[in-house]
Amino acid sequence: MSVVALTKKILQAALFYEIWDAMKVTFRHMLHRPMTFQYPREQRTIPDAHRGALGLLRYDDGHERCVGCDLCEAACPSHCIKVISAEDTTRPLQRYASEFYIDITKCVFCGYCVEACPVNALAMTKMYEYSTHDKRSLLFDKKRLYDIGERHLDDGKKYLYAHNQEKNVEQSREYRYYFPQSVQKSTQPPPKHLS
Amino acid sequence: MGLKPATNPDVEAVRIELSIDGKSVTAQDGVSLYDVISMTGKIIPAMCYHYTFDPFGSCGMCLVMQEGKKAPVRSCTAKAAAGMVIRTEGEDLFLARKKAVEKHLSVHPLDCPVCDADGHCELQDMAFQHGVTNLASAKQKFIPEDTRSPVLDFNMNRCIACAECINVCKDVLMIDALQFMKKGGFNQVVAKGDLALDCEFCGDCLAVCPVGAITNKFSKYLYKPWQMKTTTTTCNYCGDGCQLHLETKDEEVVRVTSPLSWKNKWGDRSETAKGHGGLCVRGRFGFENLDSKSRLTQPLVREGGQLVQKPWLDTMDLLVGRFTEIKRQYGADAIAGLVTARCTNEELYLFQKLMRTVFGTNQLDSSARYGHMNFVLASKHAVGLGRTPNDWEDLTKAKAIILIGSNITETNPLTAVRIKEAMRVYKAQVVTLDSAITNIAKLASHPFLIKPGTEGAVIDGLVRATIDQDLVDEEAVGKHPHAFEALKNAVADVSLERLAAQTGLSVEAFREIAAIFAESTRSIILCAEGIVRRTNGYQNVLKLMDLAWITGKLGRTGCGVNTVTEEPNEQGAVDMGVAPEFFPGQARFDDPAARDRFARAWEAPLPPTGSSAHLVEILKRCKSGQIKALYVLGENPLATLPASMEVRAGLERLELLVVQDPFLTDTAKMAHCVLPACTYAEKDGTFTNLEGRVLRVRQAMDPLGESLPDWHIMTALANAMGCRWEYQSPNDIQAEIMKLLPGYYNLGQPRKVLPVPDQYLSAGYEAEVKARYRPTPLSGERTRPFALLMGQVLMHSGKLSTQASGLITIAPNTGKLRMNIQDMERLGLHDGVKVRLISDRGSLQLGVQPDQSIAPGTCFFPEHFNEPPVKDLMTVSVDATTGVPSFKQIWVSIEQV
Repeated sequence: MSVVALTKKILQAALFYEIWDAMKVTFRHMLHRPMTFQYPREQRTIPDAHRGALGLLRYDDGHERCVGCDLCEAACPSHCIKVISAEDTTRPLQRYASEFYIDITKCVFCGYCVEACPVNALAMTKMYEYSTHDKRSLLFDKKRLYDIGERHLDDGKKYLYAHNQEKNVEQSREYRYYFPQSVQKSTQPPPKHLS
Repeated sequence: MGLKPATNPDVEAVRIELSIDGKSVTAQDGVSLYDVISMTGKIIPAMCYHYTFDPFGSCGMCLVMQEGKKAPVRSCTAKAAAGMVIRTEGEDLFLARKKAVEKHLSVHPLDCPVCDADGHCELQDMAFQHGVTNLASAKQKFIPEDTRSPVLDFNMNRCIACAECINVCKDVLMIDALQFMKKGGFNQVVAKGDLALDCEFCGDCLAVCPVGAITNKFSKYLYKPWQMKTTTTTCNYCGDGCQLHLETKDEEVVRVTSPLSWKNKWGDRSETAKGHGGLCVRGRFGFENLDSKSRLTQPLVREGGQLVQKPWLDTMDLLVGRFTEIKRQYGADAIAGLVTARCTNEELYLFQKLMRTVFGTNQLDSSARYGHMNFVLASKHAVGLGRTPNDWEDLTKAKAIILIGSNITETNPLTAVRIKEAMRVYKAQVVTLDSAITNIAKLASHPFLIKPGTEGAVIDGLVRATIDQDLVDEEAVGKHPHAFEALKNAVADVSLERLAAQTGLSVEAFREIAAIFAESTRSIILCAEGIVRRTNGYQNVLKLMDLAWITGKLGRTGCGVNTVTEEPNEQGAVDMGVAPEFFPGQARFDDPAARDRFARAWEAPLPPTGSSAHLVEILKRCKSGQIKALYVLGENPLATLPASMEVRAGLERLELLVVQDPFLTDTAKMAHCVLPACTYAEKDGTFTNLEGRVLRVRQAMDPLGESLPDWHIMTALANAMGCRWEYQSPNDIQAEIMKLLPGYYNLGQPRKVLPVPDQYLSAGYEAEVKARYRPTPLSGERTRPFALLMGQVLMHSGKLSTQASGLITIAPNTGKLRMNIQDMERLGLHDGVKVRLISDRGSLQLGVQPDQSIAPGTCFFPEHFNEPPVKDLMTVSVDATTGVPSFKQIWVSIEQV
């Protein structure tokens, strides 16, 4: 070891050089605005295209959009959706999902189900806080999904808009299905956009 | 177009050559060009084509370019001709086909998400295949859905007017219930006359519909094809043994589909002779009993007059204790067993093994005893073959068919379709002899209505007429001159005039039928419930054998005497030895060689031959107290046999009545112990159908609740009784059967056996024929004005189908007596009026309803319903030779109340 190197080492040791060197980062950051935020008290603004919990939507008149076509189940890569369909006896020849389950613990938030839905009944919301002590409550049933959809209706619509699936309310009507009437029932006029 | 010469057994087709896509192809003349192209392995899209009927040519998809023509031609309606040069591929053809798809789609509602055909739709496939993504001018039809029929909904918005439904109904099934009608500016498929659809509801129109225009009410909107598990299995309603696809979602059966569908549209007429793959109403819509709420899911044990649910372990413990005690106390002959022919072959085999080796009794019988045994024993006696000699193909290609005592479109609808094909395609002459105006009689070339109960007399007349007109086959009778002499002497007293008066057939008719039968190259007799389930069934089958013998039809290919079975595995029950007379393989029970063989194979002593008992004898012994324990597996004698058999009294005397059934039947309600069994959808195995084909039954879902397959319960019982049965699955049982009956399974195909009557004719024939043609006073000489007949209706099979809610919706128990409208007018009755029905056995009150199929002088009540208990008016006569109880006909009087 040369004399120069030895002198430098002794000097550094005497002046606590490493400490000052390490503290450099700390002191620099004392002058910065904080990068993190305090999560439960502060919340981040989430973009419209965010893929959060799934919800089922209704039309403005309160009818369920879902027709129980089961395409979401077919599209789902993680097999977390189960649809049981039936005939809606209150409305002529309408099919609907009598039961609808999404096992959100299995969901990979790919958004395929939303893309597959021909009536835009499914949408992803900005809701991501559903941690729980009871894992069973993470199997969302139809009621829960409609609750989410209702509470996050705007988010859901914005999601569909962001994903180019639904332009605006007026246009979304075109996705709606109209059914031929049964013989016994009175005739329904054809929908405006098709006549 | 009729028959394609390529498949006509009597016509040699001319070979022609044509060029397809540059390759030279040899084909038979007269065949559709589409068939020729598909035979080369190329598949051109076609939505209105199906090989089972003639090409219709409406979809415009099967376009090909023919050299010398400017525009593409439709290959399905074009006939293949020598020297044609055909191109099937190319950009121009693709675009022309795409245009056709766009044309269909432009008036299609595009409601795929709600449509039941979504994912199983030819139009969808075609749109995808041809890349149709944009429609220039689309409009909707807005036709209201026709929901008037109880079974099928017609949504004509989705219809592409391919007419497959109409064609299959008219050409294949010859029912002709559908038609096109111009309504609201569109050609629509409607039921004939635009009424509510009321047909046989076979649902073949539903199967061939390439889109979702026809939908099934019982599973509407409940599924998407990709959600379901499909299991190919065998139907368990009748002896036809149709293959069907059970489509299940977890624990429920969603729908039943048939091998016939728009998806398998390529084939040949020679294939349809073996079956067109369709189903009947029972098979297609009678699936709701499989996951019904009324299924038993827990063992029940009688405690203080009530059936109480118990765990399996306790129940089996109790059962084994009781059986052991009864066997120790009273001997093996205090135990007997009855089994239904709806069980699989493996279970039937196991049942007789259980009865014979574990319990040590030969008192066992199956429901084949209700009729099929008459045929089996007679046929075995005469020609040594205990099953029908002909299969469906023989039936289809027959030149003459005599249908005697058979309402075949009701009892065995798919065998009836084979006869319809024989009429339509192969131009067969069909003679029907029945005491009802059957549907097949309406199509037959020679329909004859006979008086009820005179089937035997008709056969006497036919034999006499054959001999009179010298229609006998010299070669056949020449081999056995003594036997023929004896037969001649026996029928010498038969007078055609007297028979004509008795049966209602004219003397000329006898002669004509005999001539048709004798002169055809391939003649088949098909006798069913009117022969085998009535009195003298055994003798009548033998008479038919005589008729076939003297006309030289015994032992000739494509000819023979056949029967049909009511339950799916009656033939299997006989083959598996579930009869006191038989071991498995129809070896005689009293044959020392067979006894030795089976005793060694089973490593157990066999019960002595002396104490054997069949159904009627078992019930008699129950009543006399000789039998103390009865093991009833799926049978329901209480609801089947008339009150005069005193079944209830017999069962009440039993110390132990064990019923093993999927449902709580009338017999089960009396039981000391009820074991929940599985239906055919929950187990593996095989059925033997009426042709002798062995067909697979596959498990489609897990057993419901705690129910178990019958073989499982029987194995557990045997092991608890101290045996060592090591069956883990039906496969193990099958392996044992294969060892004992080599060649029985034979890959499902029965071995072709030519029946030979030589043994029978050369020994002892003279002695027995003498008594056969003696003009016996008819059973139940006409004492009252009406003949009450009980029988099967199309929508039902036994008591099992009454558990299927779909079939009950279509054909509920009206509780009314069906009568001819003329008789009703004569008696001043109209629909719903109450009458008193009086027989020698008693009387009861019930309503009446008119029915077109009932002949004057007769009345009918379906045997499936006991409400009101019409069966209790019947008397039972037991056949002396075969022990078959016959109780389906009696003379009654009808009085208005």
